[in-house]
Amino acid sequence: MLIETKDLWKTYQMGAEEVHALRGVTLAIERGEYMAIMGPSGSGKSTLMNLIGCLDTPTRGTYQLNGRQVATMNDDELARVRNKEIGFVFQTFNLLPRATALHNVELPLIYNGTGGEQRIDMAKHALEMVDLGDRMTHRPNQLSGGQRQRVAIARALVNNPSLILADEPTGNLDTKTGLEIMGLFDRLHVAGNTIILVTHEHDVARYADRIVHIRDGQIEREERGRKDAAA
Amino acid sequence: MGQFVESVRIALGALWANKLRSALTLIGIIIGVTTIIAIVSMITGMNQYVAREISTLGAATFIVDREGIITSNDQWWDRRGRRNLTIADMEAIASACESCELVAGRAVTERQVRHGNLFVDDVWVMGSTANWPLIVDVEIEEGHYPTESDNAHRRSVAFIGYDLIDHLFPGISYIGKTIRIGGHEYTIVGNGKRRGSTLGQSRDNYVIIPQSTFEKHFGAQRSLDIFVKVSSIAAMTGTQDEVRMVMRARHKLSYAADDDFEIYTAADLMSVWENFSQGAFLVMIGISSIALVVGGIVIMNIMLVSVTERTREIGIRKAIGARKMSVLWQFLSESLTLAVAGGAIGILGGVLCGWALSAISGLPMGIELWSIIAGILVSGGIGTIFGVYPAMKAARLDPIEALRYE
Repeated sequence: MLIETKDLWKTYQMGAEEVHALRGVTLAIERGEYMAIMGPSGSGKSTLMNLIGCLDTPTRGTYQLNGRQVATMNDDELARVRNKEIGFVFQTFNLLPRATALHNVELPLIYNGTGGEQRIDMAKHALEMVDLGDRMTHRPNQLSGGQRQRVAIARALVNNPSLILADEPTGNLDTKTGLEIMGLFDRLHVAGNTIILVTHEHDVARYADRIVHIRDGQIEREERGRKDAAA
Repeated sequence: MGQFVESVRIALGALWANKLRSALTLIGIIIGVTTIIAIVSMITGMNQYVAREISTLGAATFIVDREGIITSNDQWWDRRGRRNLTIADMEAIASACESCELVAGRAVTERQVRHGNLFVDDVWVMGSTANWPLIVDVEIEEGHYPTESDNAHRRSVAFIGYDLIDHLFPGISYIGKTIRIGGHEYTIVGNGKRRGSTLGQSRDNYVIIPQSTFEKHFGAQRSLDIFVKVSSIAAMTGTQDEVRMVMRARHKLSYAADDDFEIYTAADLMSVWENFSQGAFLVMIGISSIALVVGGIVIMNIMLVSVTERTREIGIRKAIGARKMSVLWQFLSESLTLAVAGGAIGILGGVLCGWALSAISGLPMGIELWSIIAGILVSGGIGTIFGVYPAMKAARLDPIEALRYE
C-alpha cells in the first residue's frame, strides 16, 4: 500500500471558533493507482490534498506514505519527503518566471544535491518524456499554457516520485489543450506512475480509475472511474 | 556547496534584473566604505609625511624653547607670558652639558623681503647660529650657510630658500646680490635646494641670517629656540634632564615650581600628530558607521520587499523540496551579494576620492591593504546582519499560504 491515511482530522482556529476542514478521512491508495478526489469548494479536498502532498500535517490521525509515518514529521523532514516522493502539478503551473524550462525542471534535483551533469541529463530526459525536448531553453513567457503545464509535469517527474499530485491541472487551459494534458496523464499512468487528481469537474475526474467524493470534510462515497464506467 | 553557488547565481540574477533598484540600495554602503578607504588613505599618507618630516629632526635631537607644542587655548594663554630664552641660555647649556654633541639656536620672525621692485610676503626669517642648519639638514644647492665668523661679526648675509629665487631673481644669478629685509640690506651667500610644498604651505619661503645679526636688526624680542643634538639615542633622556636642570637654575625656579620653558623631541611632535590623527580616525569611523547602518537598513527594506514580491516563488520552491535553510541561504546570499557589491564600488570610490583629494590639496596619500580588506569585511557584515531578518521571514513562510499569494 503506497498511501494509508487513518482517521485524518485537520482543525483550524479561526478566532474563537474551531473549524474542522477534515473530519476523519481514511483512505488507502495502492501503487500504480489513478485516483481522483472530487468535491465542491469548502469540501476539504484542498486540505486533503495538502496533507497527502505533505505540505501540512494533520491535527489528528496517521498518514503513512511509502512506508514512512509522515504525520509527525517536522518541516525539514516534510520538505525532503516532498522532494523525493511527491510531484506536484498545479492549476496555475507555478513555474519560476525568470528561469528556463530546463532550469525549472532541474530545481527539485538542486534541492536534493544532485550534481551538475547528472542533473541536466535527468532534466533533459524528463522534458523529452513530455515532448518538450526542443524547448528547453525557453522561458515560461515564451511557452503556451499547455507547454507550461508540460514543463510543470516534467518537473514533477524528474525525481521519480512515488506519487503525482495534480490540482485542477486543466483549470487554466482551453478544452483542446486540456485533453492533451489528460492524455499525457494517461500515458504516465500506463508507464506505472501513481496519480492523484484533485478536481471539481466530473469530466476531468472521469479519466481516473477511482473517484473519491468528499463533502464537509468527510468521504461521502466512492465511484468507479473510466475503467469500469458504463460504456 | 552546489546550493550556495546556486543561491549566489540566483542572487546576481535578481540584482541584475532590477539595476536601478540595486543601485539606489547601495548608496549607503558605498558612501560608508568610500569614507573608510578615502580617510584611511589620507591619514596614512599624512602619517608617512609627518614621520618623514619629523625624522629630519633626527631621533637624537631635542628642542628647548619657550612655548613648546601648543595643543589648547589654555596652553597658549599660560605660556605666552613666559620669559624669552636667550643666546646666553644656549651658551650655558653648551658649556654645562657633556653629552650634548651640538647645541644650536634659532629665532624666527615673518617679514616681507624685497629686491628692487619685486617682493615676497610672509617669508620666514630665521636668525641662527652657524651650526643650526647642520642639525636640521637644510640641503645646500649653491654657496654656503652663514658662518661662525659671520655670526661673530654680525654680518648682514643671507641663505635663501627657492621661493625667493623664483620671485626675486627669476632666471638670473643671485649669489652676491642683495635683498632687503625690514630696512636692512643682506648679501646672498647661498641657497637651499627646492623642497616643494605640502599642506598648501611652501617650504621654500625662508631666509637664514646670522643669529647675532637677527638680534641686532630685530631686537631681542623673539625667544630663541635651542636645538640640542645628543651623542647617542641612549643618552636622550639623561641629557634632557641635564639641560632641564641648567635652565631651571638659570631661571631660578624653586623645587616645587613648574618649568617655564619646554623641552620636546621629534617623538613628542609625533605623539601630538598621532593624537590628532586618532581623532580624525574616530570621526571617520563615526561618519562611516552612520552611513553603513543607513545602508544596511536600506538593504533590509529592499530585501523585505523582495521577499514579499517573491512569496509565490518561495512557496513553489518549498513545495518541491526547498528546506528552510535553503530559502534562508538564498535570500541571505542575495543581501550579501548586494552589500559586497556596494563595498567593492565603495573601495573603488574611496581610492578615487583619495587620489582626487591628494591631487587638489597637495597632501600625500597612501592606500592601505588592511582598509580594503576591512571595507569588504564590513560590507559583508552589514549584508549579513541586515539580511538575516528578511531571510528568516522568507524561510518561515508557510508553503500553502505562499502558494496562494497573488
